[in-house]
Amino acid sequence: MTQQELHNQRLLKEAEDAIRRMHTRRHFIKESAMGLGALAFGSLLGGCGRSQPGLSPAVSNFDPVHPLLPKAPPFPGRAKSVIYLHMAGAPSQLELFDYKPELAKMDGQDCPQSLLAGKQFAFITGVPKMLGPQAKFAQHGQSGAWISEHLPHFSTLADEVTFLKAVTTDQFNHAPAQLLMHTGSPRLGRPSMGSWVTYGLGTENQNLPAFVVLTSGGNFPDAGKSAWGSGFLPSVYQGVQCRSEGDPVLFINDPKGMSRDLRKASIEAINDANRQEYESYNDPEILSRISQYEMAYRMQIAAPEVMNINDEPAYIHEMYGTKPGKSCFANNVLLARKLVEKGVRYVQLFDWGWDAHGDGAYNALNLGIINKYRSIDKAMTALLLDLKQRGLLEETLVVWGGEFGRTPMMENRNGAQNPYKGRDHHTEAFTLWMAGGGIKKGFTYGETDEIGYSAISGKVEAFDIQATILNQLGFDHEQFTYPFQGRPFRLTDVAGKVIRDILA
Amino acid sequence: MLISLPEFIGRLHPLLVHLPLGILLLACFFQWLILHSRYAFLKPAIPAMLFWGMLSAIASCISGYLLASGGDYEGELVQRHQWMGIYTAGLALILWIAHQFFINEWIARWLSVGLIILLFITGHLGGSLTHGEGFLQEGLQAGKKDDPVWKAMPDLQQAQVYAGLVQPLLQARCYSCHGPNKQKGKLRLDSPDWLLKGGEDGKIIKPGDAEKSLLIERLMLPMDDKEHMPPREKTQLRADEIAVLHWWVNSGAAFDKRVSELKQPANINQVLQRIATGQQPAGNIAAAPADIPAAAVAPGDTATIRRLRQAGVMILPVAANSNYLSASFFTATAPPDSLLPLLTALKKQLIWLRLDNTPVSDASLRQIGALTQLTRLQLSNTAVTDAGLPALQPLTNLHSLNLVGTKVTATGLYTLASLKQLRYLYLYQTAVAPADWSMLLKQLPGIQLDSGGYRVPTFEADTTELKY
Repeated sequence: MTQQELHNQRLLKEAEDAIRRMHTRRHFIKESAMGLGALAFGSLLGGCGRSQPGLSPAVSNFDPVHPLLPKAPPFPGRAKSVIYLHMAGAPSQLELFDYKPELAKMDGQDCPQSLLAGKQFAFITGVPKMLGPQAKFAQHGQSGAWISEHLPHFSTLADEVTFLKAVTTDQFNHAPAQLLMHTGSPRLGRPSMGSWVTYGLGTENQNLPAFVVLTSGGNFPDAGKSAWGSGFLPSVYQGVQCRSEGDPVLFINDPKGMSRDLRKASIEAINDANRQEYESYNDPEILSRISQYEMAYRMQIAAPEVMNINDEPAYIHEMYGTKPGKSCFANNVLLARKLVEKGVRYVQLFDWGWDAHGDGAYNALNLGIINKYRSIDKAMTALLLDLKQRGLLEETLVVWGGEFGRTPMMENRNGAQNPYKGRDHHTEAFTLWMAGGGIKKGFTYGETDEIGYSAISGKVEAFDIQATILNQLGFDHEQFTYPFQGRPFRLTDVAGKVIRDILA
Repeated sequence: MLISLPEFIGRLHPLLVHLPLGILLLACFFQWLILHSRYAFLKPAIPAMLFWGMLSAIASCISGYLLASGGDYEGELVQRHQWMGIYTAGLALILWIAHQFFINEWIARWLSVGLIILLFITGHLGGSLTHGEGFLQEGLQAGKKDDPVWKAMPDLQQAQVYAGLVQPLLQARCYSCHGPNKQKGKLRLDSPDWLLKGGEDGKIIKPGDAEKSLLIERLMLPMDDKEHMPPREKTQLRADEIAVLHWWVNSGAAFDKRVSELKQPANINQVLQRIATGQQPAGNIAAAPADIPAAAVAPGDTATIRRLRQAGVMILPVAANSNYLSASFFTATAPPDSLLPLLTALKKQLIWLRLDNTPVSDASLRQIGALTQLTRLQLSNTAVTDAGLPALQPLTNLHSLNLVGTKVTATGLYTLASLKQLRYLYLYQTAVAPADWSMLLKQLPGIQLDSGGYRVPTFEADTTELKY
């Protein structure tokens, strides 16, 4: 056999193999069509019905015509609204709330092998040095909570809040960790907590969105819009992103030459067309589209008034430390209070810029991050006090936290020490606080070891926090479901336990 | 923990039993199906199916026997299941032999009906062993499993602690695995003798010391602990139920004492009162806010509710499982004064009322004074003054009153001293003179007065940035 013949033979064989592969694939598809049909038929016959005897049937609570109609919670809730302050990038618990004098003694020493063996970090490689707390701490209030000098205002509220000192996560990158915190899954596609809440409770004020998102710090959180998306819930429940600078909602003002009457006429025309579309297709999403247009029309009047923080008196601006006309955390916090006052159910704030790696001066614990502390301290203190004096703190749950914590070790990237003082992402322990909404005052739950590396008691995870938030709003997180892809889904999936010890 | 080979085979029983169930049922079904000429081609399959079905039935019998002799199972139900299983395997063997000798097809066919019946009986008995007797009926009565163990007992103090409270609780939550039919961990809880004997981990009750009693300890373990009882997938004990068990063990775990004969600490007293009145909070549910009355109420008048809703008043039950109502006027399209008279029809149900930022005035407060069930009233940023406040005196259930941003002064507020249930009074931005606060505190004891007006000082760091 010549070389050429051999070559031809090989080519022929390859072609035959290719045909065979095609053939088997076609067969496979042809044969499975039958199986898939049967599967589909099964779901047509009534979905999966009850997931467990005794549980309520897996039916959706979704009314496409009035998707945001207020609904009573299954059980009387302690809170009516939630303000969630998320410090995107993950603030360091070791510089704010988790006081570790032992860690100060270890400052500059090599990290013991026992803390590194079998662990994974986002950046740390080799043997990093330990880094003592970059702050002075003192005890505050009757409760004696340790709070650092970086939060001089907030430390006066030690007796108003509950600290969760042993929060853990299993995600050490920002986006998945943020998604886990807000949607119950580190992957895309699940509805966010605010969407669940608006799906379950609707809104008390039909002229405003039920779930508002405000961002500050110059960037969106890494998880992007999925952190407030509606996932598989109807899209009407997604968070509405608003701004404290310029128009509160983009394109909320009528363009030049468009009168209010003309706007009304055109929205009615669009809704008529949509209604006809609905009659031929019966897709409930069309109905929610119609109601969204109607809400947008009402919002054009109501939203600019509520979202304008300029009509607040000067002493309130001074209290929050706002910067009128700019986009900043303080402005967003004040706006959050105004929204909750008007019946908005869930206000989600993201403040970007907390990722204290110390690879530059801007994110060094002793330089750039100091400015982050300054930008939130006065505003979040004012928020709690302002809600309190208006009698709103009893029914508003305020949550503050990041997506994970920071290592007791100084970050060393690629084996070399970072130029500035910084800490790497840390999953095993971080601090989060809650206030109002039926949460204990002046209480600390959970404890970390003497260098703040891992939780030793009162360990909680994102699911437990979600279960607790839902509980305070009047939901049993195990019964609060939405049918999707043939099974009822929960925010907390198969996990989560209400942290009963922190409930007042 | 290593287990021996017989024990391992025994544990395969729940898996193996599904083979004869499936194979034999299908074989019997085929025997009838081949009567139809279209399915005659199935005939040769039947002996082979009977053969494998029979073999798996015998294997199930052996593994079942090994499982039962492991000690976790005992009792009449196990005996019945065992014998039915053996009959099933026997009949399957007879049928297979019959096919080998080509006996009359109709005899085989009727034998197969008998086999189907045996399969069903054996399967059901096996199911009763794993899920507890009566599990099928329970499935029909939805929600029954989560019902409270104890019905209301008005003469609770005279009831026997063990027979009246403890035993029914153990029966409802524990007997299915630690009872006459099954003894997981070699433990039975269905009589005083067994309770005192304990299980494979030793005694479970240390009279007088609940913390050291395994019976209580296992209940208190966190859910994710694998030793936690009852297992995660079973109905859990409620807090009140655990409290009663804890109290019984701590009081000496006597089997013949009456409730009144045991010391009742304050927390137990509350639990007992809840049991006596049949008001037991469900397990997984948040404690209700203190300002929702415990007594039940009839639903509110639907026509009135509809009329209020049409006028833009948000009126809702405080929870889906309650008839008490909350009403909020901030999206109302008509003036509140025209709508307030309607609320009188809902005076029994209405407990939370929000009128903040609405044009209500002193005259409106007289209407509100008739709503005697109110526990929360929000009148912030309204035209209410001292002149109107005496009209609120009939609101003896009021728990929280918000007068932020109104013109009220100390003089008007003194008239609220008769509201014995009042706990929170919000007075931010009112006309109360600074000199009057100390007098107000004296006149309204037990009420948290919030004067508001909090200041957050501005430090230099608040307005400057660190340069680097």
